Amino acid sequence: MSRSVAPTSRIALFRRANPALLCWAGLFAVALAVFATASVLRLGDLSPRFSESFLAYGLLPRGAFALLAGAALGLSGALLQRVLRNPAADASTLGIGSGAQLALGAATLFFPALLAEGRFLVAFLGGSGALLVVLALARLREYDPVTTVLCGLVVSLVCGALSATLILYGGDYMLSLHLWGGGTISQSGWRDSSLLFGALIAAILAALLLSRPLTLLGLSDESARGLGAGVGLVRLSVIAIATGLAATVTAAVGIIGFIGLMAANLARLSGARTVNAQLLAAPLMGAVLLFATDAAVLLFETLTTTSLATGAVTALLGGPLLLWLLPRLAHRAGPALSVPVRDIAHRRLALALLLAAIPAAFVLSLVLKPAMDGILLDLAAIEALSPLRWPRLLAGASAGAMLALAGTLLQRLTGNPVASPEVLGISSGAGLGLAVLLLFAPFAGTGPAFAATFAGSLLSLAAILVFARAAGLGPERLLLGGIAVASLAGAGVTLVMARGGPEASRLLDWMSGSTARVGPGLALAEAAILLVLLPLALLAHRWLSLLALGTPTARGLGLSPERAGSALITLAAVLTAAATLAVGPLSFVGLMAPHLARVAGFRRPADQLLAAPLIGALLMIVTDTAARSLAFPYQLPTGLFAALLGGPYLVVMISRQRR
Amino acid sequence: MSPRKKPAGSPPPADLFAIEALHHRVDGRVVLDVPQLRLRTGDVTGLIGPNGSGKSTMVRFIARQALPDTGRILFDGCKIAEFKGRDLARRLAYLPQTPPTTDGMTTRELVGLGRYPWHGALGRPGPADRAAIDRAIALTETGDFANRPVDHLSGGERQRVWLAMLIAQEARCLVLDEPTSALDVAHQAAMLHLVRRLSHELGLSVIIVLHDINMAARICDRLVALRGGRIVADGPADAIMQSETLQAIYGIPMGILRQPETGAPIGYVA
Repeated sequence: MSRSVAPTSRIALFRRANPALLCWAGLFAVALAVFATASVLRLGDLSPRFSESFLAYGLLPRGAFALLAGAALGLSGALLQRVLRNPAADASTLGIGSGAQLALGAATLFFPALLAEGRFLVAFLGGSGALLVVLALARLREYDPVTTVLCGLVVSLVCGALSATLILYGGDYMLSLHLWGGGTISQSGWRDSSLLFGALIAAILAALLLSRPLTLLGLSDESARGLGAGVGLVRLSVIAIATGLAATVTAAVGIIGFIGLMAANLARLSGARTVNAQLLAAPLMGAVLLFATDAAVLLFETLTTTSLATGAVTALLGGPLLLWLLPRLAHRAGPALSVPVRDIAHRRLALALLLAAIPAAFVLSLVLKPAMDGILLDLAAIEALSPLRWPRLLAGASAGAMLALAGTLLQRLTGNPVASPEVLGISSGAGLGLAVLLLFAPFAGTGPAFAATFAGSLLSLAAILVFARAAGLGPERLLLGGIAVASLAGAGVTLVMARGGPEASRLLDWMSGSTARVGPGLALAEAAILLVLLPLALLAHRWLSLLALGTPTARGLGLSPERAGSALITLAAVLTAAATLAVGPLSFVGLMAPHLARVAGFRRPADQLLAAPLIGALLMIVTDTAARSLAFPYQLPTGLFAALLGGPYLVVMISRQRR
Repeated sequence: MSPRKKPAGSPPPADLFAIEALHHRVDGRVVLDVPQLRLRTGDVTGLIGPNGSGKSTMVRFIARQALPDTGRILFDGCKIAEFKGRDLARRLAYLPQTPPTTDGMTTRELVGLGRYPWHGALGRPGPADRAAIDRAIALTETGDFANRPVDHLSGGERQRVWLAMLIAQEARCLVLDEPTSALDVAHQAAMLHLVRRLSHELGLSVIIVLHDINMAARICDRLVALRGGRIVADGPADAIMQSETLQAIYGIPMGILRQPETGAPIGYVA
């Protein structure tokens, strides 16, 4: 925030010859020039008649829409950041975009008629639903910025998993819909632009009316209430406006990542200090940002005759900003989300039973009939099916145990039960590795694919560690690095996905976590890695107890929180990378298993570190069996099937916390 | 039980702390400038001063929670920065100003964490560890709720449990950062008398940050007063409890009363 701004001027940004303002004007001029050049190049080859209508109904609406969508997202971001007192809030970091996209996908598949009539309403409902879940989770920590972003990421991932399921279920038709979801701002007429224009004007007016209570909300709820502002109502209406804007954009062109995040933060950095100044500057800057990005994309597309999703490009631009911003967030060390404090009565017996249940479930799964309607009594049939079944069962169980261990480590380290291996960015990095490979070799075999995913995981792990070291280490910082890497890598994957073609369906297949192609070699390797890493994790239980008491106490007792934290996070990352190879990037076993272990009463770290992997392995055996049998003769992808359990589990978790 | 009494007759080996040319800035502002300070082994030393005087920063350096920009801090005759983490924790136990939530841990489990510097991440807790835990619980009279979750205890009980953890650490020096800030008067007095008693019974050195000048005067052998990052007064409680000295520390006119029974000085705002 600039110190030179006089405290008395209300809209200081526009009172003075602000150098930042000149920069923005310059950027806009350059973007206009780029847009014009690209348009001229595009139109050059076309026949005069067609070029005229392409200009009027294709290019001009696209430019206008980019400006309007940027402004809408900028305003939405500024409102959300203000009302949540969280400079990392944005339609994409809070899950609004993913929620809207999921709702649109579901409506396309199940209620196509609804879509024709009210696609904006559908998007709004989906977006606000996702936001509600995020806020309900974050409320338990008093909307602590870091926790809120973390919850937003998890909810986005769950929504993404559900969307992917819909795509797999709906086939090619849905895949092309998903490509649209990458945020390609091509327009065919003025309908979307005029609609968005109306929504934007209404939202700006409403926001200006609310600007004074919004100023009070910038303090704290207590002080705002003390000054007579109706905190709940103001917050609700502001959030509704912001969600409406973001959902309208998503309904028209899909997810445009991080524009709101960038616009609102850049507005503050350019000297917009008061609420009013921010509410005016953020939309303007959002408009310029998105227009400039889209103009560059248009020029690139014209020159190379490929297609790029503008929304993913903005996410790639915004990712580094998030990287810069996250360590600077004020972290309110709120109370750890408490899980019922109770001890299981017969701890050793329960652990023994869990341990015994695994081989039992394994054998049972081996001898079940293909459609789960009885047990194979024929020894020959068992012998024939076993080689197909045991590798994926063993790989799944080992991966489940490893994810559960990684989840336990992360949840204990951060005192946050929403932390799961998925948010570390390791799996997204693996996806990016595969995406890059497929970009150059769309038909690469299984071996190179594994190599690429593993290289991607290692690279993202390195990125997290480098980032965290720069930001001062500590488990919280490491987690933030993970969130940023996850966002960046996710944007990269979307960019490759949105190109369509064979690489898109290959990526989708991997993301869905199909275990059908796991061979004996990989299965044995997974089991071996588990056997090596499990003891290491168990040895860490005392560190976990100490770290839970906070940095000063841990240090006072002679433990270096930085060193122990990095060691444990590295262990969690390696566990995740290994598991991802077998069951794909999304399963949320690492979220559920540690939690189930705690709820069951395995409260102490040592017990939880034993119980969670057992539960994780068991979960995966059951899931894998169900995934191969429920839709027999078709096979559901195991990873996605497990992730489908994770979504509802989050909701159940919230309702349990509410007591 | 290991011998805990001070060896009678023999003088203490050296200063507990010897601080020289300590200088620390935050955002260009000097928060601490201490040319020299020596703290004696066996004393209960109170750090006092108004808000923003640097006493919390000072105590964080003393407990090596942070390192100063420049300056030398010798603890037990060695540079404090050069101690290994667990080695320092065996000699110095630290209670931060706001103890964290304890994640469902029971009293006994939390006190048991005080043994970490001795057995480390992998070592098996032995009879000596169990004895130390039992003794710490007995000394702080926390046995009644040994198996209850710490989060469910009252504020005064919880502070005693944390003190028990520090005792179980078997360090010869306790560093406490405002251990009474969240307690009512009765519990403040009880807590500080417990600290005082433990210091005498076990021969511990205590460095304690206190807000309340009268409480500090009652339990400390020596008071070190900071203001604006500098030491403005240093001496036994009687020497500090003078109206001119208090005025120099807090920057407002203050007077001294005598407690009717004991004659102990009580500072008040004039």
